[in-house]
Amino acid sequence: MPTFTYMTRCDGCGQCVDICPSDIMHIDPVYRRSYNIEPNFCWECYSCVKACPQHAIDVRGYADFAPLGHSVRVLREEAANTISWKIRYRDGRVKAFTFPIRTTPWGSIKPPSAYEAPGADAMDSPLLAHEPAALMVATLPSLPPFDPKRG
Amino acid sequence: MVFTDNPFIPATDFLPPSYLQAYIVLMVLAVVAGTVFDLHRKRSAEFFARQQQRSRVAAVRQLSGAEMAAIAARTLANEVATSGEFCNRSRRVSHLLMSYGFVLYLVTTLVLVFGYPADPHTPAVLPVLWNVGILMVLVGGYWFFFFLRVNVAHDGHSPWRLVRADLFIVALLASVTFALIFEVVTVAQNTLANRVFFGLYILFSTLLFGSVAWSKFAHMFYKPAVALQRRLEEANGSSDLPASATAGEGRCPPSPT
Repeated sequence: MPTFTYMTRCDGCGQCVDICPSDIMHIDPVYRRSYNIEPNFCWECYSCVKACPQHAIDVRGYADFAPLGHSVRVLREEAANTISWKIRYRDGRVKAFTFPIRTTPWGSIKPPSAYEAPGADAMDSPLLAHEPAALMVATLPSLPPFDPKRG
Repeated sequence: MVFTDNPFIPATDFLPPSYLQAYIVLMVLAVVAGTVFDLHRKRSAEFFARQQQRSRVAAVRQLSGAEMAAIAARTLANEVATSGEFCNRSRRVSHLLMSYGFVLYLVTTLVLVFGYPADPHTPAVLPVLWNVGILMVLVGGYWFFFFLRVNVAHDGHSPWRLVRADLFIVALLASVTFALIFEVVTVAQNTLANRVFFGLYILFSTLLFGSVAWSKFAHMFYKPAVALQRRLEEANGSSDLPASATAGEGRCPPSPT
């Protein structure tokens, strides 16, 4: 379900260009508005839809999955720490949901750049990046060493 | 004295004032014709009419005349007068400099050309305001051109890579830049230089006003219409967007600039 831009709403701020993990949101050379240059490569992460301050980006549903006449819109409000969804069905029913964006205070999570760069020996470690500190535990549980006598 | 004298007086040495007045009338007609052609070609009027109809059908409640007037006033105060649509502060300031500078420059040009066509005793305030308008456009415009254009700031393009989307800003900057150069050059009283720079000023002004249908000049007409429609949809409940928890105040993400 690739994204598309409502040209009349977009003000060409570039937020979607910056946030798109697939690097497919670019600026149109004729109208200086954003557009999806390769809908086939859109992985439907909704990042640009949530980041757009003008709410100018929407997702086009596949006809068999989301029939014409529906809408699924999202509103991300960082100041209120809420993300809200409004689903309008073809028959006119409307459902609305509001969730917290996060449950911990802003800035309380250590960003990846704040950790020390791993050394070469980390390649042989079974631990993933920033473990076990990022999981807030001293050590991770592990299986005892293999003993061939015990099977 | 430069900056306080009527900048169009030196042009009357080689161009009768009536020609300049006729040129301005032609440019006004070009803007009107270009905007109408643009509306027709892109079917913008049809699009807005369809949006309004869809909004009326989906409306949860009907708005009174007073409510609609209040929404129109808010749109005028926020989106039109103070460029409130922009979340990026730098772009907002640049846009305000350009829009108010351009209006100041246009109004003073009209007064100077039609009110004081060949009068050497033009009130000094008019040429001063004309120059202030030009300076505002130049500061806001070159700031936007070199640093704030989205394809330069976010797509990583060179500022010198010009595309059709740059038609408006390039024509605007070239027009007012040559207007200022012409004004300064007239001090030297070199007839050839006066004619060359006035010719360039007219050339880029013609490009600016004559290319309305292909540039983004028409955005000053349809952007307020879009903003008004969005506010009406939010008020009558027909908007597809979830209701805001912050009454619109949290729309803009934190701006790094």
